[in-house]
Amino acid sequence: MSGHTLIDLPELTRLLRECAGEEEGVDLDGDVLDTAFMELGYDSLALLQVIGCIQRDHGIELDEDAVAEAETPRALLDVINSAARDAEKLAA
Amino acid sequence: MSAVDTRPRPPDDRRPDGQRPDGQRPDGQLPHGHRPDDRRPHDRRPHDRRPHDRRPDDRRPDDRRPDDGAGGPERIALLLPGQGAQRPAMAHGLYGTEPAFTEAVDEVFALLGAEGARIRADWAADTPAVPLDHVSRAQPLLFAVDYALGRTLYARGLRPAALLGHSAGETVAAVLAGVLDLGDAVRLLAERVRLLAQAPPGGMLAVAASPRQVAHRLTDQVVVGAVNSPTQLLLAGPEPELGAVADALRADGLTCARARATTGFHSPSVRAACAAQIPSFRAVTLRPPRIPIVSGYTARPLTDAEATDPVFWALQPAEPVLFAAALDRLLADGPYHLVEAGPGQSLSALARRHPGVTRGGSRVTALLAARPRGPEDDRAALRAALERLAPPAAGSTRDRSRLEAGA
Repeated sequence: MSGHTLIDLPELTRLLRECAGEEEGVDLDGDVLDTAFMELGYDSLALLQVIGCIQRDHGIELDEDAVAEAETPRALLDVINSAARDAEKLAA
Repeated sequence: MSAVDTRPRPPDDRRPDGQRPDGQRPDGQLPHGHRPDDRRPHDRRPHDRRPHDRRPDDRRPDDRRPDDGAGGPERIALLLPGQGAQRPAMAHGLYGTEPAFTEAVDEVFALLGAEGARIRADWAADTPAVPLDHVSRAQPLLFAVDYALGRTLYARGLRPAALLGHSAGETVAAVLAGVLDLGDAVRLLAERVRLLAQAPPGGMLAVAASPRQVAHRLTDQVVVGAVNSPTQLLLAGPEPELGAVADALRADGLTCARARATTGFHSPSVRAACAAQIPSFRAVTLRPPRIPIVSGYTARPLTDAEATDPVFWALQPAEPVLFAAALDRLLADGPYHLVEAGPGQSLSALARRHPGVTRGGSRVTALLAARPRGPEDDRAALRAALERLAPPAAGSTRDRSRLEAGA
């Protein structure tokens, strides 16, 4: 199971919609992997909401500073999935 | 990294229904002129204002409709951020390199006298003498940066059709619209800072919630200081009461984050300090705005009576900010090209999820990056934003091919 991806972009965009206030019309379906969250309309408070959902639903702990540094979906997915891999290694 | 949003917008769907989850609707059109209005803005506290308040005279038959057909000019509306948007060295890369910006910032610092020199020294210092989040640094620097960015646009021939400030940003709007002279505004700001610095220590807390979701946790002292969007508000109040409310809200399962403030702006804890300034506001000349201001305190276009009412201006830091409703109101008259003239993109992020932007044909450009990343990045962000604003020389016709070539 090493290298397992806990969350991918479609899942992250679903969480952005569902955890951080559903707003019709925000375009998250295109190639937004490297678009800054702020440019998508998701500020740090909205991201904290999403992170809260992920930690609760997947039982992982995310480093707050690393999350705060992640300005794009790609950077945040890296933080989430490396934390998930670390957790798997510990459990193995 | 520029603050641009290049996604295409449907040109034919610019009537957002404006329906918000809390049932509020924008109520009417933004007038582009002035009319006598003897209503006093504080006859009722904004808490008491009904979202459906509508005055028939809010609609004017001569409302200028957006001329957004092929090649028509876009109307610019400036968004001016307030406390909480400050960051170390914000916009500092424009200082000394962007002439209009530099001149405007220096004007503000000069008006602040010896304290202005100390503020300038702290602006980009590794270890500022006074922390930048303190009212005595955050407020003058935000004023200077917002104002100077506005002037930077003016210098390029970009004239806003409307202004919307968040919190202290409304004072910048007042100066840009000619309500207050710059000198009076800066002297009043300096006095306000001295008064607010003596207010009880406090703060502001961002909460991902609607006012209804937090109502049961509010107290006499800890109140809703700002409603930023249907799902985001700022609580404000003194410490340690604010911290206790934050703990309770987290226990309720709500997401909270400290805002950058060491004063309980927009709460009763600063009311006495603000009331003490009423005589000073009475002593200056207040004029009707030359550019429409949608007030964050009334969520309506500022009337001439409000604009010239010293009490209205003096008490603003103690009154709740109704940014979400004010943005609804502004965009009900859209589309606009919303331009954030201040550090960061906090207001842009809120606007980018507004139906008036996602579906209504308005678009958003921030003049600076979401986070300061050094002087060259400040300059690059401003350059990219100005290109996006496509400034033709005053009176000349738009030349898209030249702009698209990046010339």
